[in-house]
Amino acid sequence: MPQPLHRCLDALASLKLTVALFALSMCLIFAGTLAQVHGGIWDVMAGYFRTPIAWIELQLFVPKQLATVPGVVPFPGGYLLGGLLIVNLLAAHAVRFKLSAKRAGIIVLHLGVIVLLVGEFVTGLLADEGLMTIDEGSHASFVEDIREAELVVMDRSDAEVDDVVAVPESMLTTPGRTVRHDALPFDITVEQWLPNSRLFNVPPGTPTRATLGAGLQLDVREQPPATGVEGNTIDWPTAYITLHRGGRPLGTWLVSTFIQNPMQPVTVDGRTYHIALRFKRTYKPYTLHLLEFRHDRFVGTQTPRNFSSRIRLVDPTQNEDREAVISMNNPLRYDGATFYQSAYKEGDVGTVLQVVRNPGWLLPYVACSLVALGMLIHFGMHLVRFVGRAVR
Amino acid sequence: MMQRIHAILPWVVAVAAVAALALLVVQAQRGAAGDPGAYHLERFGTIPVSADGRVKPMDTVARTSLMLLSGRQSLEIDGEPQPAIRWLLDVMAQREQAEQYPVFRIDHPDVRAMLHEEEPTENRFSFAQIMPHWQGIVEQAQRVSDVPSRQRNAYQRNVLHLYQQVSVYMNLHTRRAPYMIPPSPTNDEWMPFEQAVQEAQATGRTHPAVTAYMTIFLAYHHQQPAQFNEAVAEYRTLFTERAPAALRKANFEVFFSAFRPFYHATSLYVAVFLLAAGSLLLRGTTGSVWAGTLAQMALALLVVTFCLHTFGLASRVYLQGRPPVTNLYSSAVFVGWGTVLLAILVEGFHRLGLATLGAGVVGAVTLIIAHNLAGDGDTMEMMQAVLDSNFWLATHVIAITIGYSATFLAGILAIVFILLGVCTPWLSRELNQSLTRMVYGTICFALLFSFVGTVLGGIWADQSWGRFWGWDPKENGAALIVLMHALILHARWGGMIQTRGIMVLAVAGNIITAWAWFGTNMLGVGLHSYGFMDAAMRWLFAFVFSQLAIMGLGMLPPHLWLSAQTRNGRPAARKAPAEGTRTSLNRL
Repeated sequence: MPQPLHRCLDALASLKLTVALFALSMCLIFAGTLAQVHGGIWDVMAGYFRTPIAWIELQLFVPKQLATVPGVVPFPGGYLLGGLLIVNLLAAHAVRFKLSAKRAGIIVLHLGVIVLLVGEFVTGLLADEGLMTIDEGSHASFVEDIREAELVVMDRSDAEVDDVVAVPESMLTTPGRTVRHDALPFDITVEQWLPNSRLFNVPPGTPTRATLGAGLQLDVREQPPATGVEGNTIDWPTAYITLHRGGRPLGTWLVSTFIQNPMQPVTVDGRTYHIALRFKRTYKPYTLHLLEFRHDRFVGTQTPRNFSSRIRLVDPTQNEDREAVISMNNPLRYDGATFYQSAYKEGDVGTVLQVVRNPGWLLPYVACSLVALGMLIHFGMHLVRFVGRAVR
Repeated sequence: MMQRIHAILPWVVAVAAVAALALLVVQAQRGAAGDPGAYHLERFGTIPVSADGRVKPMDTVARTSLMLLSGRQSLEIDGEPQPAIRWLLDVMAQREQAEQYPVFRIDHPDVRAMLHEEEPTENRFSFAQIMPHWQGIVEQAQRVSDVPSRQRNAYQRNVLHLYQQVSVYMNLHTRRAPYMIPPSPTNDEWMPFEQAVQEAQATGRTHPAVTAYMTIFLAYHHQQPAQFNEAVAEYRTLFTERAPAALRKANFEVFFSAFRPFYHATSLYVAVFLLAAGSLLLRGTTGSVWAGTLAQMALALLVVTFCLHTFGLASRVYLQGRPPVTNLYSSAVFVGWGTVLLAILVEGFHRLGLATLGAGVVGAVTLIIAHNLAGDGDTMEMMQAVLDSNFWLATHVIAITIGYSATFLAGILAIVFILLGVCTPWLSRELNQSLTRMVYGTICFALLFSFVGTVLGGIWADQSWGRFWGWDPKENGAALIVLMHALILHARWGGMIQTRGIMVLAVAGNIITAWAWFGTNMLGVGLHSYGFMDAAMRWLFAFVFSQLAIMGLGMLPPHLWLSAQTRNGRPAARKAPAEGTRTSLNRL
């Protein structure tokens, strides 16, 4: 091997690099934890762990009450550190480690670490999760991505099929921006976008920003984004939009993820469309019917004891029609996705299922078995030697 | 002769400790069996009821309620300390009298001012003093409940707390809580007393428990001890016939509360620490054979204390029917237990009293932390469905907690190393080597368990909501511990650090573990919070600074360490006694 390449490989294989990567990972994880005090877990995941470069706000380390610290510093992100760790490990094994019984534990362990890191890459890139909300006695065939909203314009004039145009959230977040598309019956101008909000009823006649629709009786207040430390909270976006047709304004509507149903009618040139801001939907070829939802509590308390959903799964493409029970720690696996009992609708009128599709779900299991096995072999050999010496 | 004494002394310590504990057991049991007073209050206390989703003795309801109201488990009535159960019985059956007891602890001056009392220095108030202002308290509490809990200020938290205190009192007072009427053939759930009375009036069928309680309360109200005792005994007989297991458990729980194993274990751990510290002092200064004997005595006492600690832990498992770690309180009890267990194992290899010393410190400190975490309320609360009885969760929590234990053991041994080395001339070569081996071995063990624990947590999360790893604060804390240990070991293998480096980083492990254990729980609280978590946060900061200071000491260059100076300056003079200790130790 030529000299420079060799030196390069040595550097990549060095334990110094390993230790430095561990230390940097610890810093990143610590910052990524602090960031969840004010930021949502998905934003933090994307901004810190599932990215090559993380931009860390300095304010994280100083309480706002003490001082305002502007500025961000670039820091190696999860993908970069994870990738380097894999390279470091592979290089170390290529350069330093010799295959021997004494090294067996270490080799198995390191193999496990690589699988673990790869597994997290796969999850980060390919996994996809959403919620399926079903009322008791009703059914659903779509999964909602609560991290992203969409504005839908629906034409229900056809008795057979509804014609739906969906505008993704990314086109709605800039106030003043106008969305034009041939499929849309009107142009949409975003007046105001609130990433997280609450709605309040106002007495009739109170002036609001909306000139038509449900917004006439509603006022909106902006909320701070849901943070990671609070657990499973969701951001509820709301927007004011003005619709135009041929340069003529039709009015200003309030659209909100809070008022997805019923959709608000918009009449243009005698034709009625329906609009709503809702969480992004992915339709499935199958339908889940919620037959029964159970929510038991401990006697005399509000502490849930267990929840379970008895559902009927109907999939015409597979000619499948059967019942299943989904409960805590007892999910349903179907069509490459897994359905977990996640929450319930207020008043126990419906169930909320978490639907996860993760092609790499098995990798962490393999990885962890390998690492644990490797550690047992390695430390076990040390312990046996040590005890042997101590006994002698 | 002297040798015999040295050999016997550890046994004497062990036997004395066991005898003292036996005495306490007898005392606690006598309390549970009945008291010399006219009323058999303790027997009334063993009656099983249901509260917060758990069947428990009336005594526990009395203790936790009084604790919530006044921050104490007993109450002074007419100048004499009275058990919580007496107070509860007064609240239920001597209402006028109970309304005068100053049991509501109010700390915030502005909340106190709402009561318009003459003496604003007093911080405990009676129901009678609060009642005239109840309407105002309710209004204030309603205002507060609209504010998100993270944004509430001290006054708002205290108002809400007062509102909750009074609500608890009123529920007891009106017998809506606890649920006193056990399940019957016609009703398969526990019921509040008042509801059972109404049902009896509506259906004409009276639950036998209703009759029994009526007799008990009437007898107590009319001050008829004989009738009261008879009615309590009869009701207990009813239980013995219909649900003997519930009564047995309740009896045991009353004994458990009276015995207070963790309280005694705390004192004993302090004694262990003192003995081990004495041993270390003697070894360093005189090298007397007593050093070894003291270390053995400390170990003997540690083993006895560990058995007591185990008994307490096992009792909680029996009473709850759950794995040992279910909440922050029980995690503190378990971390201490795990550390002591590991320390005893380590001490088995290196009989120097050092691991014993560490175990004394960690055992006492974790139990004190647990005591403070108990705060108000039942430490055996029921868990949310997702946290309940899952194999992966149970094994995850236990493995991760043992990981904490091992990290703290390595940390405390490293602290002993640094303090001995820097501040005293006593860190002999032998102690140096032994401590290094102990810390290194413990870190390997800690890495294994924290990794396995973290993984089991991932499996549980994947089984429960399909996310093996979610980067949430608690998971990140666990990952930090794993990375920390991995970092120490790789740095050592790469020759980047030597003994001193291992020690300094092992102390850093304490900080990381404290962060993963408590810090992540405090994240959501923010600087504006008051009350318990505020105090906890101050303690956490104090702990972190103390560890940083010790790390700073450890990073002093070797020639500034007192031990190094003495070893270099007068090697022979110091070495001889140390060798002497060694031989005496081997003989023991």
